[in-house]
Amino acid sequence: MTINRIYKISLLSLAILIGIFIVSFGTFYTYWNTASADKTCASCHEIQNSVHSQAQSSHRNLKCNECHGTALSNGLHSMREKGMMVIKHMNIKSDENILISEEQLLEVLNNCKRCHSSEFADWSSGGHSIDYEHVFLNPKHNSTEQINFDCLRCHGMFFKGTVNDIVEPLNIKGPWKLKDITRATMPAIPCMACHQIHQDGSPHKRPDYSGPKSIFYQKQDTGFVVGFYDRHEKVHVPITQLPRLYLKEGERPVKIADDPIMRNCVQCHAPNAAHQAGTNDDRTPRGVHEGLSCTACHELHSNNSKNSCISCHPAISNCKLDVTKMNTSYADPKSPFNIHWVSCSDCHKGATKVKSELHRITNNLKMH
Amino acid sequence: MGNKHVNAIIVGAGAGGGVVAKELSVAGLSVVLFERGGWATYDDTDTDELISQRTTVLGNAYGPDDQRYRRVMANPDGSTKIVLPSEGGYSNNAACVGSGTVSYGAMAWRYMEEDFKLKTTYGPIEGSTLEDWPITYEDLEPCYEKAEWELGVAGDDSLNPFAAPRRKPQPMPPFSHNREAQMLHDAALRLGFHPFPIPMLRNSVPYGGRPACYRMRTCVGFACPVNAKAGTHNTVIPVALQSGNCELRTNTVVSEIIVNEQGKITGVTYFDEKNRKQVQTADLIIISASATETARLLLNSKSKFFPKGIGNDNGWVGRNLQGHAYTGAYGIFDEEVYDDLGPGASVAICDFNHHNKGIMGGGLLANEFIRMPYLFSNIRPPGAARWGAEHKLFQRLNFKKVAQVAGPYQEIPNFEARVEVDPNVVDFWGIPVVRLSGSRHEKDVEGCKLMSEKAELWLKEAGAVYTWQSVGGKGLSGGQHQAGTCRMGNDPKTSVTDKYGRIHAVPNLFVADGSLHVNNGGFNPALTIMALGYRVGGYIASEWLKGNRFK
Amino acid sequence: MDKQNKFSRRRFITLSLVATGGMCLLSRCVNPPLSSWRFLTGQESVLLDALVEQIIPADEWPGGRDAGVTNFIDKQLVGPYTRYQESYRKGLHAIQETCKTKFQKQFENLSWEEQTQFLKKMEAGKMEGKAWKKGFDREFFELIRNHAMQGFYGSPRHGGNKNNVSYKMMALDYPVIIGQNRYKK
Repeated sequence: MTINRIYKISLLSLAILIGIFIVSFGTFYTYWNTASADKTCASCHEIQNSVHSQAQSSHRNLKCNECHGTALSNGLHSMREKGMMVIKHMNIKSDENILISEEQLLEVLNNCKRCHSSEFADWSSGGHSIDYEHVFLNPKHNSTEQINFDCLRCHGMFFKGTVNDIVEPLNIKGPWKLKDITRATMPAIPCMACHQIHQDGSPHKRPDYSGPKSIFYQKQDTGFVVGFYDRHEKVHVPITQLPRLYLKEGERPVKIADDPIMRNCVQCHAPNAAHQAGTNDDRTPRGVHEGLSCTACHELHSNNSKNSCISCHPAISNCKLDVTKMNTSYADPKSPFNIHWVSCSDCHKGATKVKSELHRITNNLKMH
Repeated sequence: MGNKHVNAIIVGAGAGGGVVAKELSVAGLSVVLFERGGWATYDDTDTDELISQRTTVLGNAYGPDDQRYRRVMANPDGSTKIVLPSEGGYSNNAACVGSGTVSYGAMAWRYMEEDFKLKTTYGPIEGSTLEDWPITYEDLEPCYEKAEWELGVAGDDSLNPFAAPRRKPQPMPPFSHNREAQMLHDAALRLGFHPFPIPMLRNSVPYGGRPACYRMRTCVGFACPVNAKAGTHNTVIPVALQSGNCELRTNTVVSEIIVNEQGKITGVTYFDEKNRKQVQTADLIIISASATETARLLLNSKSKFFPKGIGNDNGWVGRNLQGHAYTGAYGIFDEEVYDDLGPGASVAICDFNHHNKGIMGGGLLANEFIRMPYLFSNIRPPGAARWGAEHKLFQRLNFKKVAQVAGPYQEIPNFEARVEVDPNVVDFWGIPVVRLSGSRHEKDVEGCKLMSEKAELWLKEAGAVYTWQSVGGKGLSGGQHQAGTCRMGNDPKTSVTDKYGRIHAVPNLFVADGSLHVNNGGFNPALTIMALGYRVGGYIASEWLKGNRFK
Repeated sequence: MDKQNKFSRRRFITLSLVATGGMCLLSRCVNPPLSSWRFLTGQESVLLDALVEQIIPADEWPGGRDAGVTNFIDKQLVGPYTRYQESYRKGLHAIQETCKTKFQKQFENLSWEEQTQFLKKMEAGKMEGKAWKKGFDREFFELIRNHAMQGFYGSPRHGGNKNNVSYKMMALDYPVIIGQNRYKK
């Protein structure tokens, strides 16, 4: 039958067309996802900066898609986004500061843990893996201080909108709820809050944590992998470029460790505008621990400081006291024995001489 | 589909309009509040000095934008020039909900008793339209009090012997001084001046559900990151909206007031957020669009009943444009006086407001807000290098060693300083734009010079090793403190509105902004504009409740 | 069955669109842009580098050139400063022309002192030649001076003030170290 034949031919040619397409698309797709970024992704100038910085970073051996996924694996919303960029590009309105969205960034975060599983596990166990729900729906905080724009400087810093778009109402009465409930479990301080993945550097070499001395005062500067994400400028500021904290206790300047990582910590754990020690969220060590870096006691990713005392005590302790048997209100912010500011004279009346001796020792501990 | 008729239209959601909206909607009137901008947030431009409301070189942080807005500046020689909002001379006020109160320095001054009777105090002045207000300080005092308590002011007037009497103290304790202000405070006492902390519409302690100020260096010109600064956008406007009686229409531009065949005012035409021309009718209209834009709207509303524009039968709309001549001095100190405790301005004296020989009106003197790096690059002593190695070195060595004392000098009203509408130039919507012309009165320059000398003296006493003056000039005033263009008065021949802000002979059209000021005080005018908002809004509300429909 | 067919057709269309899009991109982008600048030509950028370095010279701290001031100006010239494009094109050309007539050299090849004197003359409005009529010398100098200051002392997001260099020079902490409010109950 002629009709049947025509039907067959058209079916066949359709199959051939589909075949050709599958082969050509397959080739293209394979090429796109395996060739170097310069030949593919970066052939569009908008992401050249990122490609170039990646090529000099400690992650240089990775291909874009190993962290970012591919256009297909990211789903339709991603393709729509790329489509919009093409349209924008054709209209010569190219944006030289293309930033990935928070959702895309969190997809990358999921890929971080493929290699950095132990750091990821540490982060997950610590306070910095807090999610949106726990940051923005904390009734105690919200009823004391109104949620404001500046919250996003240290939490949800990759969120593209303003705090109005995250939580409502913006008052101290509540009850508060997230505008987008899917945000509840999203991490509010992701890896990239303190790490620039494209930062200059060499593929990572693990520092030596074997002995008590190397744990803090002889620890090498591994600073380049850490950088604070500045939400205002929308760039990471490497810790070597971050300002050093200056702090006063009354009129007395407080001695502060020159550990560059600490500059990252104090961006958020910061004193008031007058830089008075102990104000607002300042935890800078004073008293017997003055001059120590946060990282002397706190593990970098979990921020855990449990059992860190024995790294120094009694080995480098000045008073040879068994610290495990001392007043244990060390974590209470209202306690004079709080670990961040306990001083010799809190326990020993008139202990100024001992204190100065301790300072002589800590001064010699050349902090890096 | 037309818009539903409402009781009241308010044009402009700034210091005046926001307050009126609250007063009327809480009293039960249905209100439409028009605002040409949208809601502004800190995140829009955060701490960017180059796009702030103080330094606008790359644009105004909170509008208006350069694309759709323009004005015309007429020079004394008759030549004209088109100016964009980001350029000097535009006399810009922010285009957003809250307007200037989002990004202002938030000084919360009451005018003094003398400011309401300047003519009585100083006698007639040649070449000036100086006049007493139709109201006294006592008339406005309850409104000041309401503004202070409803929006929230930190201060203690009992420390200022020149302050006008008050019934109730300010609701929050004053701010502590930064290093520079403390030095100036001590020096002022030595000189026999009477220093006190500047009253601020900014929380020194949590107030109104909003947190205390945490003293960022970027404050004036920027929105507040923690919502500690009180503007109408985070106080009275939310109350108005919550009442259920107020509809806020953002990104709408009112183009004309509609006059019907009987000569009655029935509503406004406006362009909505999609630039479509719309009509809104109402029983009464309150214009609070700023001294330039309020005058522009009245002048653009021409009809056979009002051939020269509404309220302009005697040619007074747009006249007597005033702002403030900022005058003062700079001083370089041996030691660093900058301690990064924002916003900077914190100590003031009112010793030179009134009753000083040679100074007419005068003004407060205060240490200035923190000068950001680019702004500081234009601050140099006379004759110092303006560029090159020396200029850079000055910036490095002296940024933290320079203090500035300055104040807003009360200008003597000048009939020739004025707002008109330009016959040729229109904006994006095709509405004729504002044309600014004229200059300050000569007396102002003399007074400014004397004030600057006092500022210099004060800096020297505080320890400045090198000082220089910066004296307010004769150029046309206006700016963010713009006022005076629809003066209130008892005589319809020499004023535009009556003592309640109602346009003479038009029963249902009011003005509630700085345009009403007969003179502009030696103070930042925001609190006075708010107080007038309470006066006008309160009057309308109470009359309405009595059954008056303003027909 | 029918549903599945529909799905695969939709997916097919999507895939082909992506492929076509990709091809278009590649074909359009094989020729890299001629200059890495947005508005300036390569030669203009060299001249502007020299000019902004004069306005803000390097000392113990980097100068205008290394702080990316030229990049700032270039970026603004295709943004808020589009209205100054003509002035820059005309002014930069006029500077080189004047230098060629007077010194037979490009501005950037003059000695430091010669460059300084040249700019001082511009600032004072004492340039000769047709191109500088009606006070254009002074006007263009002020434009570059102001823009250089903005690029050096403004926020780095606009392309200048690389690594917050001017803020560091002035001993201002950026990003600002300031903590959240903490109320004692």
